[in-house]
Amino acid sequence: MITIANAVVRYRGAPVNALDGASFEAQPGCITAVVGPNGSGKSTVVRALIGQVALAAGSARVGAFDVATADRRAMARTLAVVTQREEPTFPLAAREYVMLGRYPHHGAWSALGPADTAVAEAAAARAGAAELMDRRTDELSGGEWQRVRLARALAQGGEVLVLDEPGTFLDVAHEMAAFGLLEELAREGRTILLVSHQLNLVARFAAHIVLLHRGRVAAAGAPADVMRGDVLEPVYEWPLVVARDPAVGAPVLIPLKRR
Amino acid sequence: MTNARWWLLLAVLAVACVAGLAIGPVPIGVVDVLRALTGSGDAQAVAIVRDLRLTRVCLAAITGAGLGMSGAALQGTLRNALAEPYLLGVSGGAAVGAVLAVVAGLTAAVALPVAAFSGAAAAVALVLVIARVASGRADPRVLLMAGVVVGAFANAAIMVLLAGAGEGTVRNALWWMMGSVAGAEWATIRWLALYAIAAGILLVAVARDIDLLALGEDAAAGLGVRVSNATRRVFLLSALLAAVTVAGAGLVGFVGLVVPALARAFGIRRARELLVASAVLGAALVVGADVVARTVRAPAELPLGAVTALIGVPFFLVRLRRAA
Amino acid sequence: MPRGRPRGGGRIAGALGVQGSFPGRSEPVVFSATCRRNRRVALAPALAPALAPALAPAPARARALVLSLVLSLAACAAPRDDRASRETPDAASRDVPSAAPLVDDFGDTLRLARPAERVVSLNPVTTEALFAMGADARLIGRSRWDASPPEVRRIPDLGDGIQPNVEAVLAARPDLVVLYAAEANRTAAAAFRRAGVQTLSMRTDRIADLARVLHALGIAVGGSAAARVVADSVRRSLDAVGARGAGQPPLSVFWYAWPSPIITIGAGSYLDELITRAGARNVFGDLAQPSPQVTLESVAARNPDLILAGPVSSARLRADPRWRAVRAVREGRVFVFDTSLVGRPGVRLGEGARSLRALIDSAAHALRASTTRSAP
Repeated sequence: MITIANAVVRYRGAPVNALDGASFEAQPGCITAVVGPNGSGKSTVVRALIGQVALAAGSARVGAFDVATADRRAMARTLAVVTQREEPTFPLAAREYVMLGRYPHHGAWSALGPADTAVAEAAAARAGAAELMDRRTDELSGGEWQRVRLARALAQGGEVLVLDEPGTFLDVAHEMAAFGLLEELAREGRTILLVSHQLNLVARFAAHIVLLHRGRVAAAGAPADVMRGDVLEPVYEWPLVVARDPAVGAPVLIPLKRR
Repeated sequence: MTNARWWLLLAVLAVACVAGLAIGPVPIGVVDVLRALTGSGDAQAVAIVRDLRLTRVCLAAITGAGLGMSGAALQGTLRNALAEPYLLGVSGGAAVGAVLAVVAGLTAAVALPVAAFSGAAAAVALVLVIARVASGRADPRVLLMAGVVVGAFANAAIMVLLAGAGEGTVRNALWWMMGSVAGAEWATIRWLALYAIAAGILLVAVARDIDLLALGEDAAAGLGVRVSNATRRVFLLSALLAAVTVAGAGLVGFVGLVVPALARAFGIRRARELLVASAVLGAALVVGADVVARTVRAPAELPLGAVTALIGVPFFLVRLRRAA
Repeated sequence: MPRGRPRGGGRIAGALGVQGSFPGRSEPVVFSATCRRNRRVALAPALAPALAPALAPAPARARALVLSLVLSLAACAAPRDDRASRETPDAASRDVPSAAPLVDDFGDTLRLARPAERVVSLNPVTTEALFAMGADARLIGRSRWDASPPEVRRIPDLGDGIQPNVEAVLAARPDLVVLYAAEANRTAAAAFRRAGVQTLSMRTDRIADLARVLHALGIAVGGSAAARVVADSVRRSLDAVGARGAGQPPLSVFWYAWPSPIITIGAGSYLDELITRAGARNVFGDLAQPSPQVTLESVAARNPDLILAGPVSSARLRADPRWRAVRAVREGRVFVFDTSLVGRPGVRLGEGARSLRALIDSAAHALRASTTRSAP
């Protein structure tokens, strides 16, 4: 479970707060999506959770851990993050990369063992990356790399998963597969927090949507409550309509051409 | 990394050390060298092998191991395949310290190493302060740039110091800056070994962090690394290790750059193994370079830094070609 | 001309610090001494008081003429050696610059209408030589490294001898600047000439250079005869050193010039010549450069019979455990030499050679004693 309470974050030299008193929760057992226009503070939420930015005010908790004071390695056993972009400086085998996900479970001197290998292989299979394990990270396509990263996050073995734009680089099939996997993981009891641009996909898979606007929560609730023209249009500052897509019955956002 | 590869690396180091002990203007057979090592046999041979050659080999090995490890750690942490300890201001600061000692006329045997180490430490501290002031945390790009700037400033300081100095002072200073293990003696080697081993062990202890930092800041943070602290820690340890080697042998460039790349070419990727392999390879490289340095133009010796550069530059060209 | 042995008189510990006694009245007896080949007698200190008035500007010309007559008579009795003289063999040389142009080691021609009266000497060798020639009254400036003779301290210090401060030197208004012909001094020489000051740039690296330098200085300051006397005396003292004990087998010597890096002397240095004249052999005499750098082990490999070092260096040598790999250090055959005597190929070379000879003799003695002791 993730709890953000009145979080305030200001980047060095920035004129305004990136997060300006945002509060929301992500419950276990379902997918929570954080959406909003560019600069609304979505990625800042992720960075705050991994400790890359400090909260000027407010708090952020992941399970029992307070992000500001927790032992990061312990927290990494609970929380796994797949960031927007990741590029290893030196290429390594995908298998080795996935094994890096087991590091939080070991101290400086203990070695990775066969148990870790088993977990890593299982995670890779789950993420649909099993056949990629012997490839080198610099030889993977965007989508393949994404799946390997997801495998690594799963190998961490935590109950909380945070993903920043997981659908980038994925084609339709892989995107649907990825979101389907996230649904499964959520059903197994995990807390899944998504940051995404893809409102339509999010509307289909997320149980809870948090709409950020200029660092504050403009709206939060079930997709039906948030995916409404009168809610979205002032935030995105663009004419749009929200319809109900007949095939699956989920709300669909349709941006209009500006006259 | 398979056992066979490790044995190969150790064999390379062994060959280099044997060469370092057996080659020299005084002809001593390999068997006699081994006997002399134990202290038996001709007194002259014992003196030559133990006091002259063994000291050089030890100092060269420490220097190479330290620089190799330092480079390996930095390249991962700073996420830059071209990072090397000398880029961080270590070499510039150490040179300023040493030149100051020479200009001040300090002749005690410990004066130069201590002064060089202090200069290096001051330069590293300065780089960290600059990085903190500029970006509030240990940002690798800022660290690298600050290192280059501090290095340039150090060069200017050295020029000013040497401009008004006498011929003997300039010669002393230049000789030190060109790098040499000719000044190796047991007293300094004991201290250097102590510091180098301590720093090396500490680096291996944070090898995990280096692996994770190499993935990127956010990824590392997500995997439990306190990025800014870890970067600073590795930076300090690497710089200290490099400073120790500079204190002992002057400026021996390219080792920190070439050795980790060689180790990676060997197929070693994980940080802990890479650190150890870089230490072994680095030691072998510098020991071998010293043999070349004192043999090619006997009875004179080439500067050690020149020999390592002569090895490093073609290596670079090959890698550039392969990358292009 | 009286040809007695010099009698009485006290020691003259002049610029050359030679042991010997001179009569109070110097001129004729001294000149006779030049005619006797085997005397280890340095003439300059005796000459200095005699010649100084001769070299004084204008008024003493009459006295100078008389003196030059006496000198020329002496010169005819002295062994003629044209090596040092580029002028006409007319021994009745008047103390005026010769009409034949003097070209220095930079290729510049020295053109002086009259003997130089305000001389700046930026080279310890030439400064010392000018004192020896008795021309120090004309010295108005020296380099900061000039230390010999002690009187040199009263001459104003005008800075470095290599890459001198041109302005500081020009401020003293010299009419002649004597430089060491290092490449680094070429621009300075050109600058002096552009400012209208004559320059004399001479190499002072080898023993043969000293004779040329003295000759050139003699022409420049109008003291050619004095210069020739000094040159002769140096040559004689050097020859004398070599002549003695020439029958003994040469010892091998390692000259420890610099500790870090280890620098010794090679065939290109006057010190190598000096060692040879002193009856020894430089272990690194096969290297062509004047100051080659060598490794400690190569010294051990060449196994010199003795090691010569300055006082500081010899202390370091004995304290450094690694030098014990060299047998001469182990067996205590490290000798201290006085760098002030042999630091440059100057007019004190003869004395330097003699002290070197003494060192080598005592080392040979010690070596012989130890070998006889250790012989079964």
